Amino acid sequence: MSTTRKLWLGLTALLVVSFSILLWAGTEIFRAAPPMPERVVSVDGELVYSRADIEQGRQVWQSIGGMQLGSIWGHGSYVAPDWSADWLHREALDVLDQWARSDFGAAGYDALSGEQQGTLRARLSPLMRSNRHDPESGTITLPRERVIAAANVAAHYISLFGNDPATATLREAYAMKNNTVDTLEHRRALTAFIWWTAWAAGTERPETMSPASSTQPQAARVTYTNNWPSEPLIDNVPPPSLWLWSVFSVLFLIAGIGALGWWYAVSHSREDGTHTIPASDPFAALKVTPSMRATAKYFWVVLALFLTQILLGAITAHYQVEGQEAYGFALAEYLPYSLARTWHTQLAVLWIAVAWLATGLYIAPALSGHEPKFQRLGVNFLFVSLLIIVVGSFAGQWFAVMQKLGLEYNFWFGHQGWEYADMGRFWQWYLFIGLLLWLTLVGRSLWPMLRGPAHESKSIIALMFLSTVAIGLFFGAALMWGEHTHISEVEYWRWWLVHLWVEGFFEVFAAAVMALIFTRLGLLKTSTATVAVLFATIIFMAGGVLGTLHHLYFVGTPTAVVALGASFSALEVVPLAFIGFEAYQTFKLGHATPWMARYRWPIMFFIAVSFWNLVGAGLFGFLINPPVSLYYMQGLNLTPLHGHTALFGVYGMLGIALMLFCLRGLRGQMVWETRPLKVAFWSLNIGLSLMALLTLLPLGIMQLIAAIGHGYAYARSAEFMQQPIVELLVWMRVPGDTLFSIGALALSWFVLRLWVMPKREVPAGATELV
Amino acid sequence: MIEFYSQIKWVHVAAVLASGAIFLLRGLLVQLKRENWAMAAPLRYLSYSIDSVLLTAALMLLTILPHAMYANGWLTVKLVLLVVYVVLGSFALKRGRTPRARLVSYILALLTFAFMLTVARAHHPLGWLVWAPG
Repeated sequence: MSTTRKLWLGLTALLVVSFSILLWAGTEIFRAAPPMPERVVSVDGELVYSRADIEQGRQVWQSIGGMQLGSIWGHGSYVAPDWSADWLHREALDVLDQWARSDFGAAGYDALSGEQQGTLRARLSPLMRSNRHDPESGTITLPRERVIAAANVAAHYISLFGNDPATATLREAYAMKNNTVDTLEHRRALTAFIWWTAWAAGTERPETMSPASSTQPQAARVTYTNNWPSEPLIDNVPPPSLWLWSVFSVLFLIAGIGALGWWYAVSHSREDGTHTIPASDPFAALKVTPSMRATAKYFWVVLALFLTQILLGAITAHYQVEGQEAYGFALAEYLPYSLARTWHTQLAVLWIAVAWLATGLYIAPALSGHEPKFQRLGVNFLFVSLLIIVVGSFAGQWFAVMQKLGLEYNFWFGHQGWEYADMGRFWQWYLFIGLLLWLTLVGRSLWPMLRGPAHESKSIIALMFLSTVAIGLFFGAALMWGEHTHISEVEYWRWWLVHLWVEGFFEVFAAAVMALIFTRLGLLKTSTATVAVLFATIIFMAGGVLGTLHHLYFVGTPTAVVALGASFSALEVVPLAFIGFEAYQTFKLGHATPWMARYRWPIMFFIAVSFWNLVGAGLFGFLINPPVSLYYMQGLNLTPLHGHTALFGVYGMLGIALMLFCLRGLRGQMVWETRPLKVAFWSLNIGLSLMALLTLLPLGIMQLIAAIGHGYAYARSAEFMQQPIVELLVWMRVPGDTLFSIGALALSWFVLRLWVMPKREVPAGATELV
Repeated sequence: MIEFYSQIKWVHVAAVLASGAIFLLRGLLVQLKRENWAMAAPLRYLSYSIDSVLLTAALMLLTILPHAMYANGWLTVKLVLLVVYVVLGSFALKRGRTPRARLVSYILALLTFAFMLTVARAHHPLGWLVWAPG
């Protein structure tokens, strides 16, 4: 059996086993999700909240932007608090205040001595953590103190989400617009949903409260969210399983690095150096077909979306210092924080995805030399569809967040509130159909190569095609939840979309495309590249598929999910530790022959991809990856540290590299004035580094220390986030962000000049040195 | 942030003076036919760094000071003059095609810079003219 065949079999087996386990983990998550009660009542039988209240509250929360304004169970945005943690903390404090008044006649809990406070805290923990859910009747029965506390906290939230002057300062600190929620009825319903998420975060799972386990120490008993968030008042601390699997995850990482190191040593000693590089650029003679030419406009849109995304990022960041204004202009009345952030995060995915889609559409006929009938029409139709999706979904989100859409149509046409899956269901279906069209267009161009006689490149092309199929079909995960699906189940499917796309199939697509490019340029032997790409895919998928679960430690999931997520996501970092090999290989290929100078800047961006893979995905990713780390770090500024450096650093840079490669073919006959590319390259990289090192990392570390020392709610509170030093750190983004923006403008200028008043290259220019 | 007002203002003023001083120096080098020195990478990057500090401090001041302070339009005038200064500076250092064009641009850029300083000091669009007799 050939090595390639063995690797294909290995990959198939790996995917079957991994997805089987992932699906099994899904059933476990659905089984162990925190119960949605039919009724929440006081011990006197008084109705506090009904299931309808909680479900309507979730709809309200989604309509205002959901995760784009504060977070739930740590998932979401970072200026407003985590509502679950905030509610839990406020409710606990309210109960303590009630007891301080009734038991000690004091003004409040703060007025008590340390000993008195200790006595009350000892009473508080069992009161808050006891599970009073009756599965038979679906009723949660609350003691009187908790009913009063819930009413008080609800009153605070009703004030906060409305237009009450009493909470105006807090609204500004949280970057919330006035009347975030339009009606009193909806505000009240919202409190029901937030209460329920806090209840799940503070209530112990029934199985850990059984008589057999009642002798366990407190730390071994876990709430529905695995004791997340850290809340010292109710003894919410990391359970032993989190520590255990964190330690093991580090062991797995080291073992993985050792094993892969051994493989590299063995396989590199086997390499032969007999490969001959062509005398001239094979792509210089490439025939650009009409459909390939039609992809040019995709790249213009990529740049337009990229620039808009940066502008929205600047606005989002600015809201952290002026919660409702921009230099005196009442911006929140037109473009509130949650909307700016929604569009910022969504555009990040969209422009990168459009760059990749365009690359697929460009490269398929380039590889096969086959232009199917009506291919250009398909490319143009898809382009128009993408524009309609962007404009339509954004318009729906504006109407939703401005509370002009109502709840009835919000799920379909407004704002779903799930980060990275925000667009209304109608637009998701439209995008899904668009992606199917994309894979059809790519597939029919590649078809002659896929079904023709066996040839060397067939494996890589098949892998690339399979990744396009996976990118297209796996977007279907976004269609797996409904308007009222349990939040734990939604989270499960949402991370199928976000994680499997990004850390699975994008990775495979990228590896296959890069290998194809280098083999077609004649720089790599196809057989060597095939083995390398298949092996890399196995390595990425070995950690990547089950690594999905590392996003789900605290969303109402059982311990098995923690164990699997921690172990396999640690393996995701293994190939990143060896990324230097890939970077050096790319660098070598860039200098392999004089005509490769034509590709200097795509190569430089490929090298940047490797750098940020190590730093953004590897270092900053693993920083927050072990369960006990994420327990404290989730939703702090260390999360966007990883998010920015990995999403832009890796996939953004890759999108730019692929775009430049395609432009080499599309506009290769024009003189490439590469000075703006040099400015773009260094500005984008240095700008991103400054953003990470001057703001996100120090601010995240400050929050981390606060979360460990005082609990998670404090690290996300206005009291902490409004400190002058925090604001100063946010301002430190300006130099880096300005530089980054200059880089994006320089890149756009470069592309613009390829079409606007370009200079035609002299005929001998096929070997132009850049 | 108002707690840091005096420090931020100090940084802003220091960055303005440093930025002006570097431009003065680079312009002089151009006039002395030492264009290579004027455009040397360390000097250029120092200038960029100082300007980004200046810009950051300016934006911070803008958000922490009461908006009534800018009611008479002095800040708008300063920003318009900033654009003029940048364009003139560019001609003085690089884009001016003749030595005479570079000299004139240099002098005008310095005068613009000086006038901007007086606008900032006076908090008035007329700058030093406010203090002029009559």
